[in-house]
Amino acid sequence: MGFGDLKTPGGLKVLNDFLADKSYIEGWVPSQADVAVFDAIPSAPSTVQCHALRWYNHIKSFQNQKGSLPGVKKPLGQYGPSGVADNTAADSKDDDDDMDLFGSDDEEDAEAERLKEERIAAYAAKKSKKPTLIAKSSILLDVKPWDDETDMAKLEECVRSISMDGLLWGQSKLVPVGYGIKKLQIGCVVEDDKVGTDQLEEQITAFEDYVQSMDVAAFNKI
Amino acid sequence: MMALRELTQGDKKVPVLHSNNGPALVGLVTIAAHLAQEAKRPELLGGSAEHKALVQQWLEYRLTKVDGCHKDDIKTILKDLNSYLEDKVYLAGNQFTLADTLMYYGIHHIIVDLAIQEKEKHMNVTRWFDHVQHYTGVRHHLPPVVVLRNRVYTSGHH
Repeated sequence: MGFGDLKTPGGLKVLNDFLADKSYIEGWVPSQADVAVFDAIPSAPSTVQCHALRWYNHIKSFQNQKGSLPGVKKPLGQYGPSGVADNTAADSKDDDDDMDLFGSDDEEDAEAERLKEERIAAYAAKKSKKPTLIAKSSILLDVKPWDDETDMAKLEECVRSISMDGLLWGQSKLVPVGYGIKKLQIGCVVEDDKVGTDQLEEQITAFEDYVQSMDVAAFNKI
Repeated sequence: MMALRELTQGDKKVPVLHSNNGPALVGLVTIAAHLAQEAKRPELLGGSAEHKALVQQWLEYRLTKVDGCHKDDIKTILKDLNSYLEDKVYLAGNQFTLADTLMYYGIHHIIVDLAIQEKEKHMNVTRWFDHVQHYTGVRHHLPPVVVLRNRVYTSGHH
């Protein structure tokens, strides 16, 4: 989650891509999520980032309702595209590369020492928060329709519409099984702790109009 | 007491609103605008003068370009809406209006049949449509259109 540093063009690009198919940061109405991100942007995005600009101008029109918008402000790193590492820039002052840590001037010694302590503490904190390895699996699913008249494009759309935390849909293809019937073979990558094949089966077979059954064709640990 | 009926005009059917106090009203936009006023929701017709005009513009577009359109016109409609909606969240201003409702109903049959690739090609229309169909009280009995969250076709257009 997170957009990266929203004060840089890189961060704004992530925001822009995120907003291409959304009117708001979260949900379907303006909320504190929009306020949090709006406040983190120094000025209006350029016309090149048309989606971010559209969103910015729209949220700006709610300026005098800022406090009463629904929701609770969360830290910036919790909004934005999933599957992106959170490297939101901290609101600290800029690094001063010209800082001479070995300066002989007595006045600056105390300052340099304090800064050095701060940096060591930050480095230690970062090291201790090293992310644990996440167990993932690559699964190939066979989704069978009712007959050869089933709309396979719609079926695929329904399957791909299933979204869960830890689930990423991959490539798919149609495989003929005889009598003109084709099955949808679709791959996905799942985080083992978050997604199980029974859950997937439940959700896929819920589309009763299109799906007759689902099988796991292949299951590999990554 | 009000009653909504259908009247055949040539090869088209138009709605007619009968009420106890006042003349019968004919026409989709006429009736919708009248009902908005009766329900004391004038903001649905636009806030400022400019927005009122924009609402009227899109209501007119619905009647003249969308209703009864041929298959060949669909591309044009999608293109028009997509470029208009590039920098807008709603059709008129920053609030939901009748223009959004009637356009949603007007193009629902088009959007429901669009392939994933077409939906991503007209991303702004898809975004606006997904937003409106989630707006409380709009969708009613119409089936929701599924909009994928993970972009399938990587963007080659901006």
